[in-house]
Amino acid sequence: MTALVVGLTVAVALLGVLVAGLLRSHAEILRALHELGAGREDTTPGSAGGPVDLPFEVGRGVLSAAGGGAGVTGTAAPDVVGTTPSGDTVQVSVTAGGGATLVAFLSSGCLTCHGFWERFAASTPELPPATRLVVVTQGPERESASAVQQLAGSDLLVVMSTATWEAYEVPGSPYFVLVDAATGRVAGEGSATGWDQVQRLVGEAAGDLALARTSHAPHDHSRGHSHDRDAGDGPHREARADRELLAAGIAPGHPSLLLTADEVVDLDRRDGSPQPGGHAGAGAPGRD
Amino acid sequence: MLLSAHGMGLDAPPGWEVRISRRAAAGEEGDSRTHPVLHAATVALPVVRGDFGGGVTGLLSATDLFVSLFEQGPGAVGTALFSDRGRPRPVAADFSPNRLQRTIPGQSGGQWFFTEGGRAFSLYVVLGSHARRVELVNRLTGVLSTLDLTPGDAS
Repeated sequence: MTALVVGLTVAVALLGVLVAGLLRSHAEILRALHELGAGREDTTPGSAGGPVDLPFEVGRGVLSAAGGGAGVTGTAAPDVVGTTPSGDTVQVSVTAGGGATLVAFLSSGCLTCHGFWERFAASTPELPPATRLVVVTQGPERESASAVQQLAGSDLLVVMSTATWEAYEVPGSPYFVLVDAATGRVAGEGSATGWDQVQRLVGEAAGDLALARTSHAPHDHSRGHSHDRDAGDGPHREARADRELLAAGIAPGHPSLLLTADEVVDLDRRDGSPQPGGHAGAGAPGRD
Repeated sequence: MLLSAHGMGLDAPPGWEVRISRRAAAGEEGDSRTHPVLHAATVALPVVRGDFGGGVTGLLSATDLFVSLFEQGPGAVGTALFSDRGRPRPVAADFSPNRLQRTIPGQSGGQWFFTEGGRAFSLYVVLGSHARRVELVNRLTGVLSTLDLTPGDAS
């Protein structure tokens, strides 16, 4: 009897160790899958009924010389080289045309991508002026050319190129990269579940780029514009402030520029009149 | 990067758009015969375009170029039109506004017919600006020097 109890105890202990080992192995597999990005697409259980509202992750913003941002944002964008589903050999220049290129990395198998394929096949997608769309799937060794051709329709530029996926460090599909042709660099990138999201953020990124170019352009006063009204932030506002200070007799090095706000108020009180460069109403008689 | 297909190869620098395809010749839609065509341009090549730049040349600015290399059928080999042996070396003097397939003010064009490696080709080039043809031909020469044509019926 004792031997039976001891035997059962040992068996239970061994089974417990086995179960613990299996659970640990399972956890390690789940962690590895998570690190590999499993579940990015709507292929996760329970998502087959419709698109999943994943957060949009486009790395927006103005290009910086030092790069920055996630992924390849800010880095030089390579041309797209590969084959079309119909067998043409192509090199698509992401800097040709002088506008911008939206590179859409799609696959024929992912459910979220099907929404984009259908949208692109139904009508020409609306994008900011001088922005064109290039769809890139993985190469014919990983994708069915006939399946891609069927999804793409006739008027959509589709390139099959695994090398391009690797060059742009694409983590999964769908994934979008916006290239600014003027700089040849990646302006933004990210994933999305719907074309409306992509469209909105591409528009914003294009606006940011246009604004950055405008603000960094040399300030030209010869085009007939004046500084009589405040044009908001930037060179106009700075110019207006300089002009008004100079009109009030305050040039660089003027003593009032070295005063603190409290000292300016005290000065106003002593003089009983508003001082140039001070708060317009702070020193006015009867208002303190 | 060197692009190669259908016995044609081109190593265009970044900023050039290139496509090598097989297309039915003009007026031969429905015909099973197709011809290798190489298009290269410094502007984005539309998905739908003509063999000789229809849909493309209208996009060229004064600093842009369009190149079309079209292989004719075997029947053209040995004909008088394709009697020139070896590929042409275009120079600025070869270009003229009245050599365009489709006249666009300011542009200039040139076309050559030749045979190389037992294959008959026509080369058609459009410059975005006739006034800047010397500068543009220099760029063209650099790209055409990378052209690789495989002898024989490689297509």
